[in-house]
Amino acid sequence: MSTDASEADILRPIQRTSRQYYVLLGAVLVAIGLFVAAWSYQLYHGMVVTGLADWGSGGGVTWGLYIGAFIWWVGIAHGGIILSAAVRLFGMKRYQPVARLAELLTIAGLSVAGIYIVVHVGRPDRIVTSILLNYHETIHSSPLVWDVTVITLYFVMTATYLGLTLRYDVTRLRGELPERFEPLYRLMTIGYTEREDEIVERMVWWLALGIIVLAPLLLHGGVIPWLFALIPSMPGWFGAVQGPQFLSIALTSAISGVIVAAYAFRRTYDWAHILSDDVFRGLTLWLGLFGLLFLWLQLQQVIGGVYAPSNDLGAVTSAMVTHPAYVYAIGMMVLTLAYVFAQALDPTVFSPLRSVIAGVAVLTATLVEKVLFVVEGLMYPTFDLYASIPGDYVPSLVELASVVGTVGIVVLFFMVVAKVVPVIELHAVEAEHETEAEP
Amino acid sequence: MSDDPLEELHTDEWEAEMESVLEETEYDTELGLEMAKDAQRLVAGDLSEAEFYERYHGAVVEEFGVDDRPVGTEEGVVEAMRGHDGPGLLQRLADAETADDVDRRELLKKFGAGAAFLGLGAAATKEASEEAAAATPTGSEDDDGTQWGMVIDLNKCDGCLACVTACQQENNTSTGANWMYVFTYEEPNQETQNFLVRPCQHCTNAPCEKVCPTTARHTRSKDGLVLTDYDVCIGCRYCQVACPYGVNYFQWGEPDTPGSELDENHVYDERDRRVDSRPPKGVMGKCTMCPSRQDGKMGEEQVGTTACEQACAMDAIHFGDMNDPDDDPQQHLERVRNEQPNDLDTYPNRPTNTVSTFRLLEEFGTDPNVVYVGNEPSEEAEQVEGPVTYEDIGEVDRRKEVLDDGTFGGVRS
Repeated sequence: MSTDASEADILRPIQRTSRQYYVLLGAVLVAIGLFVAAWSYQLYHGMVVTGLADWGSGGGVTWGLYIGAFIWWVGIAHGGIILSAAVRLFGMKRYQPVARLAELLTIAGLSVAGIYIVVHVGRPDRIVTSILLNYHETIHSSPLVWDVTVITLYFVMTATYLGLTLRYDVTRLRGELPERFEPLYRLMTIGYTEREDEIVERMVWWLALGIIVLAPLLLHGGVIPWLFALIPSMPGWFGAVQGPQFLSIALTSAISGVIVAAYAFRRTYDWAHILSDDVFRGLTLWLGLFGLLFLWLQLQQVIGGVYAPSNDLGAVTSAMVTHPAYVYAIGMMVLTLAYVFAQALDPTVFSPLRSVIAGVAVLTATLVEKVLFVVEGLMYPTFDLYASIPGDYVPSLVELASVVGTVGIVVLFFMVVAKVVPVIELHAVEAEHETEAEP
Repeated sequence: MSDDPLEELHTDEWEAEMESVLEETEYDTELGLEMAKDAQRLVAGDLSEAEFYERYHGAVVEEFGVDDRPVGTEEGVVEAMRGHDGPGLLQRLADAETADDVDRRELLKKFGAGAAFLGLGAAATKEASEEAAAATPTGSEDDDGTQWGMVIDLNKCDGCLACVTACQQENNTSTGANWMYVFTYEEPNQETQNFLVRPCQHCTNAPCEKVCPTTARHTRSKDGLVLTDYDVCIGCRYCQVACPYGVNYFQWGEPDTPGSELDENHVYDERDRRVDSRPPKGVMGKCTMCPSRQDGKMGEEQVGTTACEQACAMDAIHFGDMNDPDDDPQQHLERVRNEQPNDLDTYPNRPTNTVSTFRLLEEFGTDPNVVYVGNEPSEEAEQVEGPVTYEDIGEVDRRKEVLDDGTFGGVRS
């Protein structure tokens, strides 16, 4: 295989658009349209159209699917860039072909997480003025403001990272790229000279280091779990385990997301030689490792909540472990782990499609677990004298539409980006060529 | 009663008791005693306030290291004593002396220990400082500013829900948004029904304010009320999540009462911030302790009152300045404590009274400004239907029943 052929491979999505593409585009737009309609309805009538209500005498929960899905998307976003950063920092070249897909997943995931914050509040029109104008005061105490801050920082770092690495590719492939996006390419590569390659590589390395440090310490192992872990009156949430627990969920979700996205591209564009079985096998092992961490941390919480718990902690833990949604989430994780172990023992058990099925199972499991975590936490507060406690909650169609819509937005994002820039790094196919040239 | 009030008070017995009180402290007993005597002269009019302070300024500085009252001109001294927190020393001492329901021991404390060091901010005796800690919100002993709050006597509550109705009418809250809420509950193995009256606790260390991403939830500096600025709130509901008491009620849809029907004097407070009456759609509401009343917007006679307090025929709710020993909350506490003294003659080490008081969920460090007289519900307590139900007063207890009507494609619960 020649370098040119590989270049042609990664240019294929840009140069070729099939009929299936338009069918999928139509489906995605319908999904997004559904979400937009549901949100408009909510804006008009108020949050009353959701299944949410006041906790306490109100008999409901005040946070539900929106917040659960918000955490879920941040988790997916979070792990994507970690994977990519690990490729650069630890020289995990094997995963270079999926690095950019992972970065794109981060950008898309963070964006829809941001949308969820807006969708979740009662007065989205005030977000900018009320948060920004008081930022100097609230940053000292409000975990929600910490969240907005770190997510923004993370977004900027990831976008910079992606922007810098794209300059190299776009410059070299310029001749093959569609002319209609010429102004965009010119903007992306403004002031580019070959001398910057080395500098950019160093910058990207430092950015990767920043991201690797920032993510577990501040983002999904930090401010996101702290939204809950710092509230002592909700025993299902409070405590130090939430940081590691959220991180493990983020990593399992993210690896699953990358597996699903990579497989979709592999099938659509015949990239089995670039996104090889070997890449999927490696990702599957990582999924197993993080899944194991997830189960281990769940075990910590459950054992602490059932052995000799205080009344309030005991109530929330026993409600959680007996809930069908929790059984589903843990069951999916266990089945996934069984698959990972089985394919490690007997390689014939492995197939990329099976890993994708495992990935989808994990993604549904983590979404369900996150929503349940939010909802059950609010249903079982320490102060449970209210007869209406535990409250109840069933997500309304308006809320469910948001999940369909945000998945649609993320898919649309990939579909659009794939038509504009290569979603596989030029370095990856260059490296493949070099590897093949070695004796 | 003799003509000279000092004669009656200033006995050998009094002096001995004073000495024993002061000796328990780390401060100079003689100084305290002298000051106490002069404080009595001050009340009797034998000594002017300025003279009193001139006399003790040096000694006070020596003993405590500080005396932050301006001395020099008589005017300055008197002004300092009239102070920023209500009546002057003279008035307070006179009040203490003439109050009928203040027992001799209380009086002793006020004169012997309290009076000597009024204006210093330092508690003079161990007992007095313990008493202060029990009577004022934790962490605010040094803060002499107004702190609105309530003493709620649960032993007097009969569960009639008049306070709930009054609050709803005053604030036009939507159905089910029971800013004032009354639990009727039973304890295991007990026949009796108990009540817990639950307004917002207006915490000094309010978790809702801490987590707010916008400063909409804030504490009003002039009087410690915890309020929501309806024009700043973005409706993220984090305050509701963080509050351990469940006092927040979000405005999920259009309010039952349109804005045009609200009394303008009952919407904006004196800072011109929209903090009173029911919230508009999409923002958070909760019990406000009636800032419009406290600002005098409903008439001077309504300052220091709340709608729920006025509606309570059982006199269970005592709203007022928690930092003011002469205001209704502390007076009520003192009254019930005096009514149930302990047998100190036989058991001198027992507490002075047998009254049970508590603050709700104090373990969360919220420093609530509601003090309850009565028993705290145990963890086994269970809410039951009360003598008057929420339906009886045309209200709804479980708000979700109302909200489910607006849910789109949801499942009715």
